[in-house]
Amino acid sequence: MRTLTLVRSGIATSVQDAGRTGRQHNGVPPGGAMDEFALRMGQHQLGHRADEAALEFVYGSLAFTTSAPCRFIVTGAPAIITIDGTKTNSGQVRETQAHPMVNIKPIGQGVYSYLHVTGGIDTPICLGSRSTSPRERLGGLNGQYLCDGDVLPLGPERTRSEPSYPVTSNISAPETLLLRFIPGFQFDLFRVETRHHVESQLFSVTPRANRMGITLDGNPIETGVASLLSEATCYGAIQIPPDGKPIILLNDRQTVGGYPKAGAVIRGDCRRLVQSQPGQRVQFVAITPQEADRIAWLEHHYLETKLA
Amino acid sequence: MEFTVDPAGDLGFRLAFSTTPEPSLTYGLLVIQSAARLQFNDALADSIVGYTTLTLLFRPMTLERERVHCWLEEQAQRISDPADIPDPAHKTVTLPVLYHSSVAPDLEWLAEDKGLTVDGVIKLHSENSYFAYATGFAPGFCYLGTVDERLAAPRLRTPRAKVPAGAVAIADRQTAVYPCSSPGGWRLIGACPTPLFALEADPAALLSVGDTVKFEPISIADFKNMQCDQRKP
Repeated sequence: MRTLTLVRSGIATSVQDAGRTGRQHNGVPPGGAMDEFALRMGQHQLGHRADEAALEFVYGSLAFTTSAPCRFIVTGAPAIITIDGTKTNSGQVRETQAHPMVNIKPIGQGVYSYLHVTGGIDTPICLGSRSTSPRERLGGLNGQYLCDGDVLPLGPERTRSEPSYPVTSNISAPETLLLRFIPGFQFDLFRVETRHHVESQLFSVTPRANRMGITLDGNPIETGVASLLSEATCYGAIQIPPDGKPIILLNDRQTVGGYPKAGAVIRGDCRRLVQSQPGQRVQFVAITPQEADRIAWLEHHYLETKLA
Repeated sequence: MEFTVDPAGDLGFRLAFSTTPEPSLTYGLLVIQSAARLQFNDALADSIVGYTTLTLLFRPMTLERERVHCWLEEQAQRISDPADIPDPAHKTVTLPVLYHSSVAPDLEWLAEDKGLTVDGVIKLHSENSYFAYATGFAPGFCYLGTVDERLAAPRLRTPRAKVPAGAVAIADRQTAVYPCSSPGGWRLIGACPTPLFALEADPAALLSVGDTVKFEPISIADFKNMQCDQRKP
């Protein structure tokens, strides 16, 4: 069996694929790659299917070797890759001999990167997915973030796909990132000033950001809504805890919650948010469900074009 | 019963009734959940019943907004008369519990706070039967109600960093068993040796919304035996 050994495991490195569906009614979060575009770009470049897993890592830092020659690509937050002493860029398929030393170093853009290796990371499927949910200890390697020295099985290599073109990272840091959201949940119960406050004030990304959610800083939002009976959350939900600092709920969120919610940020903007570093300014903009659908269609077709 | 149907993000809908939680409402929500699974098939990624809500989450590029909205409104109308809801075939689960201060740091505090004896707390908690209103928080976690008001206890101001797996807990008039070790702010009054979530089991979660749960006091010796049994392959 071909294996990959993590020489330097980096930060919050975990096995991820597209995540789990159909388990939220048991309290199991969907999990999956935080940047779905980056995951799919990498899968496509290696001729992988949507269920083949990659390694997700944070702030572009990792070192690995493999037991056999392999092809790999790093997508998402861009990085400098050194293969046995030779420097190259991320975003393009690279080949190595057996037992290479591959060092990945950040260049300071974005947050989440993905290391795809031919055959995919072949850890056992757990509840329909290889994705790691560290809090629940599900999936991946023993349900945990990976450590230095961990050895991961690689799946069988498929027939080679055509030589590939470089993948652009799509990661940018605009002065203000718009978080377009569909109002919902308790938003109508918020005071009028509060609803205005949500949209008119600027917030910023804090370091309290992980696979569960991203906490924003700004003038506290006073919802005037007491805690509620537990109800389902959803991807992108804008949860307002008692301290008034909004938390955008993401892949490893708790499936139910009792804090008031203003609505939910659309998926495309969540993906840009997860690649934003602390300090990034953001602004909420309410949109209609129909506008959200139009944006989703555009982004879907953009991705399909990229994957054509 | 008044209800609203609103978006839950860009892939979902949330049906919410503005009433207090009732088992009959939960049965109604479960009826709609089953119907939704048939109606929308693979397009429906997840459906989650809360205390007074049902949330449907769809796969990307499959949500027909108008159709789902209308369908949910029709369904909600149908369950608005609880007499029409079929009697659900849900299970009753009896969970063994060791109520002892060695495994329950808040048991004696609760007795004192409520002017009861420890035995009085055990009696009030274990003689009641509980309804599973919602699941979530952690895999296999189930929100059970309704706790006798003489035991209603506020959450800890600062949650414990680590509540052990199996901890039996009270918050306000809800009770639950922590399926796995996690942070938690509920008051701990006992320990249950039965696993609530096991990947090897089918289904993995022991409890579902709509189930009835009873707690049966056990001795320290029984507790230790059951714990040993769990560890056997």
